[in-house]
Amino acid sequence: MRSVPSVFLALMKEWLRSKSGMFFSFLFPLMLLLIFGSVFGGTGSTTYMLHVQNFDVKDGEPTELSKIFIDVLDSMEIFEIKEIDPGIDVNSYVKENPSFEYSYRILKIPKGFEENIRGKSMAVRLNVVVGTFTYIEENFSNYMSESDLQAIEGGREELSKWKNMFPSSEGAELTFLADETDMSAMAVRSILESIINAFNNQLIGVEEQMMSIKSESLVEKNMSATAYYLPGYIAAFIMTNGIMGATSVISELRRNGTVKRLAATPLPKRSWIMSNVFQQTILAFMLTAVMIIFARIIFGVSALPNLYALLLIFIGAVTFASIGMILGGVIKDVEAASGAGSAIAFPMMFLSGAFWPIEMMPSYMQTIAKCLPLYYFHDGLRNIMILDNLSGSYVPFLVMGTLAVIFIGIAIKITKWKEL
Amino acid sequence: MPEKVVEVENLVKRYKTVTAVDGITFDVYQGEIFSLVGPNGAGKTTTVEILECLRTPTSGSAKVLGFDLLNEEMEIKKRIGVMPQEFNAFERLTVKENVELIAKIYNVKPETKQVLEELGLWEARNRRFHKLSGGMQRRVGVCMALISDPDLLFLDEPTTGLDPHARRECWEVIRTLKKLGKTVFLTSHYMDEVEQLSDRAGVIVNGKLIVTDTVHDLISQHGGGIKVSVKGKKTKEAEKILQRFTENVFHDTDIVTGKFQTRQEASKALAQLYQMGNGYRIEIIEPNMDDVFARLAGHKVDERGELL
Repeated sequence: MRSVPSVFLALMKEWLRSKSGMFFSFLFPLMLLLIFGSVFGGTGSTTYMLHVQNFDVKDGEPTELSKIFIDVLDSMEIFEIKEIDPGIDVNSYVKENPSFEYSYRILKIPKGFEENIRGKSMAVRLNVVVGTFTYIEENFSNYMSESDLQAIEGGREELSKWKNMFPSSEGAELTFLADETDMSAMAVRSILESIINAFNNQLIGVEEQMMSIKSESLVEKNMSATAYYLPGYIAAFIMTNGIMGATSVISELRRNGTVKRLAATPLPKRSWIMSNVFQQTILAFMLTAVMIIFARIIFGVSALPNLYALLLIFIGAVTFASIGMILGGVIKDVEAASGAGSAIAFPMMFLSGAFWPIEMMPSYMQTIAKCLPLYYFHDGLRNIMILDNLSGSYVPFLVMGTLAVIFIGIAIKITKWKEL
Repeated sequence: MPEKVVEVENLVKRYKTVTAVDGITFDVYQGEIFSLVGPNGAGKTTTVEILECLRTPTSGSAKVLGFDLLNEEMEIKKRIGVMPQEFNAFERLTVKENVELIAKIYNVKPETKQVLEELGLWEARNRRFHKLSGGMQRRVGVCMALISDPDLLFLDEPTTGLDPHARRECWEVIRTLKKLGKTVFLTSHYMDEVEQLSDRAGVIVNGKLIVTDTVHDLISQHGGGIKVSVKGKKTKEAEKILQRFTENVFHDTDIVTGKFQTRQEASKALAQLYQMGNGYRIEIIEPNMDDVFARLAGHKVDERGELL
């Protein structure tokens, strides 16, 4: 192990001085980040996603009026309505289901929505009736008999009692939740207000507020597509560096006799493998740093890896460098080795959902994605770096950790240090 | 007798279908240049790589610098210097970086300047390996083998593929190694190289070691003797003289040749031939390793190492 730093340094210099190595490891990933970030990163959607949480439920069914109201919202082409079960806490829902496609705006329909609107509507109607009675009483008493007046008075009092039977005269108050940084939230609220006004008018035909809306702020992590996929880019290119880069380096050094030269020294095989894995790890950290700086400058993404992220990057680099060492160790021909590397790396890169949501893919492909180590790598990295959700990285840590141990074991077993 | 640094006992290396090394036995002594000579595919590299602990023998045993080949691999590796066939170093590292990397692996304080100067590479120390000529690359290889100050150096076909000038340069380097007191184990298919450089040589063909001896003895015993040819008018007279000293006399149209086992026999004949007067020319052809090989293996070897 003593000679690992020296051999690592030699490998590092060899790589730094190779133009194609630099291109492949850094420039290529950055170009893809730039292109994908620009193409997929846009937010120019013309419909607004609106999540509706309907608390106005009776016997497990939404009340009729609340249903009609949601249908009205849905029939407006401007909204794409998604309903959230009333049993869910929206603040955690938003954190657990982050989306890069839209910002969360949630409309809460309160319990008693139908009842309150009916109540308010009745109250308004009764008010009109009582008001009419009062008006008649005040202005036309001279023309009426005492008994008539008493009948009207009695009716008015009776109606006033009725009026008191409808406790909420305030109407229904909807709650609109949106992130403070969400630029479109204001627009969505105005649209909602005008719909509510129309609804009010249709309900009774008078300018009386049946329904009102209040705003509450929703704490959502505001994230762009580029931020969401940055861990995907980082993971994917650590993978390609390992599987494609390490494979071709190893098979070339084996072909040209450098490995034999080293094998003839007292350098133990393990140290040779460690040096290569170590070099790939440093490369992975360098790539991460470059990608983060680049994403910050170009796309304003401010994600930073914490200790857990660095640990996962380390584990990922070890896994993929080991796969590279295995391929480079098994396949003698340099061309064939790098061909095999790209045959594994490219499909994995695109299938694993590193660059786009795997929900977009057919379900059998999603199943394939979940069999790929890269899926766990970028998923874990995203949970840690972007979503602040450490618990979401437990499975990725477990999967990647196990794979790292397995693959480095195979690499040690398969790397030839004799009979070269 | 000097100390044995390599002792090989009935070494066999068998692959699936071929036996690359077929039970060879020989010793190499301290301070000598020993050559394993033979055509391509004879088993030279396999033998050397077994001794360098780069291959495991199928059977047989060997000791290198007193250590057992099978059980004391690391002890051997620490003490030998190696330049593999078709050797390569890190291409984009400089001469100095490559040499010092090897020193680091051996955990020795490198005398880089001294070693590079000895091999005429000090000026080129900051040049990258892949920018060097073939001859210079071999010299870097020798430096890398030498930097750990090993007692025994294995140079596997050090001059194959080099132009004649670079080959001669390389010979000088190998002679320098001997002067430094190193034991050098060489493989080659160039008979002149073996003759020029080695103290002792083993002739290997088809995995079998046919003979091992000093180069001098190999030539005198297996070279087919000294040829004395007389060209010109007096071939008849010369033939008679030659026949007095040897039975092997051949007559062509205007040339007669006698073959002698030893120089003494040849010199007696020569003394009489020189008394014949004028009108003829005497040519003495000493045998060389080419003849040794041709006689032992039944074939000659061409420049590329192929059997003819």
